[in-house]
Amino acid sequence: MHFSDLCKTSAPHASCSLIHLFVLYKSSTAKTSDQWRNTRQTEPLFSVFQILEVLVQRDREFQELMAVAQSQGKLHEEMQRLEKEVEKRDSDIQQLQKQLKEAEHILATAVYQAKEKLKSIDKARKGSVLSEELIKYAHRISASNAVCAPLNWVPGDPRRPYPTDLEMRSGMLGLMANLPSNGVNGHLPGDALAAGRLPDVLTPHYPWQSSDVSVGMLPPHHGSDLGLEPPGHNKENEEDVENMSTDSSSSSSDSD
Amino acid sequence: MMATAQTTQEKENEDWSLLPLVHDIIKCMDKDSQDVHQELAKLKSKIQEAREQISNMPGIDCSPQEQQQQLCTLREQVRTKNQLLHKYKGLCMFDVPKAS
Repeated sequence: MHFSDLCKTSAPHASCSLIHLFVLYKSSTAKTSDQWRNTRQTEPLFSVFQILEVLVQRDREFQELMAVAQSQGKLHEEMQRLEKEVEKRDSDIQQLQKQLKEAEHILATAVYQAKEKLKSIDKARKGSVLSEELIKYAHRISASNAVCAPLNWVPGDPRRPYPTDLEMRSGMLGLMANLPSNGVNGHLPGDALAAGRLPDVLTPHYPWQSSDVSVGMLPPHHGSDLGLEPPGHNKENEEDVENMSTDSSSSSSDSD
Repeated sequence: MMATAQTTQEKENEDWSLLPLVHDIIKCMDKDSQDVHQELAKLKSKIQEAREQISNMPGIDCSPQEQQQQLCTLREQVRTKNQLLHKYKGLCMFDVPKAS
């Protein structure tokens, strides 16, 4: 029974043949040797069979464990595949998170700008100005040609958007400065200006001037001959021009 | 098909068995041939080869139960993340206010 059990349960043919071989081996040796005729004849055989049984059992266990190891290997491949999927999903989630963050930033900026615009709209509504007043003010500040060149201005025209030297000297401040001391300014043009006349040689002739302009006529406001400027605005316009346009970097300054 | 699969599996199982080599050794001892040492060397190399193969096997650092648990955990993670992605990609986060 013992041998048949072993043959049935153990791995195969090799185990059965081993046992048979051992039986034959020992039986053959038992016939010739005196020691094997003793009762001890069964003991070595029994121990040999025990060893064989243990060997077969170990071999069976080893094969089972190897099968388990192979199945674990397959599971390990499946786990690696799942780990790659998890990594891919993680990267997708991070990408989505970045996009949502960017959208939140854009929306926050847009909302802030919209709020600022609403504030400025409310502020404008509170301090509203009539359009007629704006137009009048614009007309006053632009009447002295400080914001735009005159229509007949050409390169070479000495007119500037700011008061020129001649205009300053011919104005109230220049006249007030020159009155107490005649000859302080040794320049002939200056004296002539102070006297209110210019010599013929030094009178500038400009293409924009009409032919019947008098020789000694001073051009405090050049546009007055052509009647472009309305009367009574000079000081106010100059003050407004000084306030509005203090930048002397006009394009016409280097035209000559 | 099944028979061939079974025979291949049996062959794989037999590859790990050391009994044929032990049988050969005992046979040589029975015949008193000089090939006993050769057979012993074969057994030794077979054992060494098995050791090397086992050391290179992936996934045997943990028990089968732990491996199954890890596998279940990974599957659950993949399922949860798929659900989250599907939910957030299809979710409309910006409710358009009704014109009053």
